[in-house]
Amino acid sequence: MLEYVIKRLCYVVATLLVMSVLIFLITQIMPGNIAHLILGDFASPADIATLEAQLGLNDPWYVQYLRWAGAMLHGDMGMSLSMNQPVSEIIWGAVGRSALLAGISIVLVAVFGIWLGVYAGVRHGSKSDHTISMVTYVNIAIPEFFWAIVVIMLFAGYLRILPATGYASLDEGVWNWLRHLILPVFTLVTGLIAHVSRLTRSSVIDVMNTQYIRAARARGLSEKRVIREHALRNALLPAITVLAIDIGVLMGGVVVAETIFSYPGLGRTLIYAIQHMDLPLLQASMMVVTFVYAMANLSADLLYAFLNPKIRYGRGRDA
Amino acid sequence: MTASLLSVRNLCIDFVTGQTASQALRNISFDIEPGRALGLVGESGSGKSTLALAALGLLDKEARIREGSVTFRGADLYAMTEDGRRALRGDKISIVFQDPFTSLNPSLRVGRQIAEPLLVHRGFTPQQADAECIRLLEEVGIHDPRKMMRSYPHQLSGGMKQRALIAAALACDPELLILDEPTTALDVTVEAQILELLRQLRATRNLSMLFISHNLGVIARVCDDVCVLYAGEVLEQGPTHRVLVDPRHPYTKGLLASLPQLGGRRHRLVPIPGRLPHPSARPAGCVFSDRCAFAQGERCAQPQSMAAQESGHDSRCWRSLELAGQGWRAATAEQVPPAPRPARTQALPMVTVQGLERTFEVGGWRNPLARLLRGRDADAAELSRVKAVDGVSLSVGAGEVVGLVGESGCGKTTLGRCLINLVHPSAGQIRIDGKDLVTADARARRAILKDAQMVFQNPDSSLNPRKTVREILARPMQLFGLADSASELDRQVLELLDTVRLGAHYADRYPHQMSGGEKQRIGIARALATRPRFIVCDEAVSALDVSVQASILNLLADLRDQLGVAYLFISHDLAVVSHIADRICVMHKGRIVEEGATETLIAHPRHPYTQKLLSSVSSIEKHAGHAAPMPA
Amino acid sequence: MPERRNPRKITGLHIGLALLLFIVAIAVIGPSVSPYEMDATSLEQRLAAPSAMHWLGTDEFGRDVLSRMLNGARSSLVMGFGATLFSVLVGVPLGLAAGYFKGYTDDVIMRVIDVMISIPPVILGLLILSFTPPSLWKTTLAVGLVYVPIMVRLTRSVTLEVCGEEYVQSARARAEYNGYILFSEILPNAWPAIIVESALRVTFAILLGAALSFLGLGVQPPASDWGLMIAEARPFIASAPWIACAPGIALCLTVMAINLIGDGLRERLDPRLNRSRA
Repeated sequence: MLEYVIKRLCYVVATLLVMSVLIFLITQIMPGNIAHLILGDFASPADIATLEAQLGLNDPWYVQYLRWAGAMLHGDMGMSLSMNQPVSEIIWGAVGRSALLAGISIVLVAVFGIWLGVYAGVRHGSKSDHTISMVTYVNIAIPEFFWAIVVIMLFAGYLRILPATGYASLDEGVWNWLRHLILPVFTLVTGLIAHVSRLTRSSVIDVMNTQYIRAARARGLSEKRVIREHALRNALLPAITVLAIDIGVLMGGVVVAETIFSYPGLGRTLIYAIQHMDLPLLQASMMVVTFVYAMANLSADLLYAFLNPKIRYGRGRDA
Repeated sequence: MTASLLSVRNLCIDFVTGQTASQALRNISFDIEPGRALGLVGESGSGKSTLALAALGLLDKEARIREGSVTFRGADLYAMTEDGRRALRGDKISIVFQDPFTSLNPSLRVGRQIAEPLLVHRGFTPQQADAECIRLLEEVGIHDPRKMMRSYPHQLSGGMKQRALIAAALACDPELLILDEPTTALDVTVEAQILELLRQLRATRNLSMLFISHNLGVIARVCDDVCVLYAGEVLEQGPTHRVLVDPRHPYTKGLLASLPQLGGRRHRLVPIPGRLPHPSARPAGCVFSDRCAFAQGERCAQPQSMAAQESGHDSRCWRSLELAGQGWRAATAEQVPPAPRPARTQALPMVTVQGLERTFEVGGWRNPLARLLRGRDADAAELSRVKAVDGVSLSVGAGEVVGLVGESGCGKTTLGRCLINLVHPSAGQIRIDGKDLVTADARARRAILKDAQMVFQNPDSSLNPRKTVREILARPMQLFGLADSASELDRQVLELLDTVRLGAHYADRYPHQMSGGEKQRIGIARALATRPRFIVCDEAVSALDVSVQASILNLLADLRDQLGVAYLFISHDLAVVSHIADRICVMHKGRIVEEGATETLIAHPRHPYTQKLLSSVSSIEKHAGHAAPMPA
Repeated sequence: MPERRNPRKITGLHIGLALLLFIVAIAVIGPSVSPYEMDATSLEQRLAAPSAMHWLGTDEFGRDVLSRMLNGARSSLVMGFGATLFSVLVGVPLGLAAGYFKGYTDDVIMRVIDVMISIPPVILGLLILSFTPPSLWKTTLAVGLVYVPIMVRLTRSVTLEVCGEEYVQSARARAEYNGYILFSEILPNAWPAIIVESALRVTFAILLGAALSFLGLGVQPPASDWGLMIAEARPFIASAPWIACAPGIALCLTVMAINLIGDGLRERLDPRLNRSRA
């Protein structure tokens, strides 16, 4: 197990390194350099040259990279070009709000997706199984932005019971804060619940057909006990793998949802940075997103390894 | 007469998928008395596993009981509710399934799974259950019960898992134990231990058993009575020593005639022609009539009923009494008199192996990390290197058949693969027809391999499912430039098919359209395509049914006689090897521990491992008391 | 061995194929049969509800929604199929190499893939598109690149499975040329799994492409990509819902059609395929 953990940690470090290099290289490839962007279109070439020298833009790229990476590690993410604020301030708040949205969503996806999948899988072939299958089948075809628009139209436009934007700070009351979150979270979780439940369902069906389940029945266990004590454990392992992949999809969804609901999170910051060519903000946002995703994946991997006796205990000496 | 424990009467079970129903079992009737062991013998597809599940009340959703009954202690299993059956399962009737590797839940500790029947049926507390489990594990011969209780299935060997499963089956002191091929997946020495364990348990607990197996030797060893099952029907039943020594049904006679015997005279095996009928295409009358050598007249086209032979011995054939004492007569097509063996002209052996070694590094080049973590622990370093072949030297003469026997993990497969370039040895020398294989470059190696080919084990995996037989057979000849034109290629393909006794119409078939035996013949034909002088047969008959096995063994023997090909015949089955090999090498833990001429080795084994191996083999002669009758 | 053919009945595969064919037809001939030019604006007819003149109404510039829909099919399909084709062309050879040659080749390829897979798809797409002005082809390429790792992993695992079969070992024992083994023994048996996975990848590619267009990083205005149309319709959801609904439903139908095809192919091509993969 220890070997496995160390290997995974090495991968995380490698991934972050590679991503940081890639992200940094954007600055080298983008048309127009930073000095130009800061001083604007009407600056004189002399001023630009001075600023370039000041910012160290004439150094070889790897030197600039190390400088940038070093600063990042110290928490100094530079100055935002479009908002005239330290990038770290902007990002810090945004990360918290995005984490909230993503966190609630992933919990809901895990709980409802798995529950629904198990419910359908255990009743394989029955009417309720067919109904759930059909509903999820349609659901995975619907993109989040479409869902978002539909629910905004319905609940905010027509029925007017929920707000069309996603954010109200906690100072304005907990209930109000929650109300604003309902629609964004809904659009994030529907597609993913469908996806997770489908995979869990087929995993459950596979497990229920194994020999060891038959052996458990042959020992006289009731069907309920067979499912609870034998089937679930083995069916849930693939579900964790799927959830790990879906965290990535969720992050994409978060970007879209924040855009639609004007939710001031990291995703919206990212889009904003791209649209305004705000390089320091863009680079820092991407690094933070990559870091969070890598951590989430690592946690999922470790959870899987912990729950899977073959990895946790390895091969004993009686093999 | 004691009341029987389990009574099956006229049981008929169908498999219903969608709209179609196919018959799995027909008119099955037998009794098991308390303390008796009944064996159920049949080949794959005969319905034995369905019968085992039926006796447990645990049929699949698709299986329907059309008529008949299964009574346990007088109570009809299928008249009671599912709760009633569940109360019996694991408590009064238990089962041990075939494959220990898949019968245990990989995510739960073994102790927890063994304790389940106690928790469910006896209402034990977890502590009480644990104590009882430890006692049970000791009874089944586990040395460290506490450690096993805490282990997960993947940490245990096959034999230990099967013992744990037996312990679980015995937890509530059942009256009837059903065993479905319990030792088929295990090595023969482990099998002998498990069978001995079962014998002891029977004695101490007065246990009744329903023992299912395709291995007649094991049945002879364990069971008091036997039922012979074929295509869903019981064709013969009675006391074991009678049925196996004086078989009355043609099928039983055929089965016995097609079995290779350990140490018996190397007479030619007599296979049963044809193949098992598809459940939807069974013959209308006697279910065996289309393959029977004794079929005669219209009475065979009518459904047969059981004819009593002697006390307790019945046979479902109207000619049983008439044919008593007659062995299986081979169909005339198979009566090819063995050609006289060509004298060995070549002085030099065909294949020489010297000091061959093959070490596997577990974990590849990432191992340094593991070593770093475990410090300078010498044991850990050793565990990561496995010496599959440890200094093996042997030779195979031209036209000679050398058998290589050993249990799983002994390295015989690795050795075989080294000889044909599938595995590169870590050290040692291999010479084929005088040419060095290990040091040859790619081109020279290809030239050498023209003479050395392999026949593989699994007919379902040895042929490319997307190619026709013609393409499969033509390719080796194309690769080695053995045919200059398309028509010449075609001619040679048909010639190959003829050599393995298959008609020309097989050339355009795909693998999924052929049976296991036919596919294996194509595998042999493919090996012969380059006209090799040496063939490695890696468990070539192990995946086949007994009757098919016999015909393939005959084919291999005939090819050796006709073409003068040398074989290295690798197998775990001593009886098969002793039938076909001139010399036998016994392999254990990567080394050859004994080598010698077949008759000598079997009769007077010198190495303790060879002795252990030989004594573990269950055979009819050993256990049923008399030699099987010679075929007429 | 008797082979029974199921009586011909309409399966999901048929429905999916029919639907997809219809959508492809729209993509191909749509622009020629659309009643209006897709970018023909009309200031009087802005935000008009569906009527006889405009079957699906008009948007905020007075453009006919139906015409824009017919034109938009093309970009969604190009993105979906183009990206998948790219990921197959790049990913399958890499996967084959990794699975067949194993050793260092396998390790190097898989490490790179592991790093690539650690990046969320949308983020990777954003990364690639943020430093160059986006267009249909660039977005297609970016989406294709995003899905290369998955195709490599899948091909590799299928290749490993097939390499374990005895007929491949038999070929190796004959000292066959590597090329022959790869293309004549392994690939024909690996194709079914790859095709089924590709069919599902198309749906993901379409959705990802639409999402990127929605965010402004895909097809640019005044083109009529479905995702872009939904983005442009955002301010008018309450007043003119038809502008967003039409492309949204079109996207859903396309994705469902391809899902049906993918599932149907899975049933047909190889019943032994692992059904736990969605």
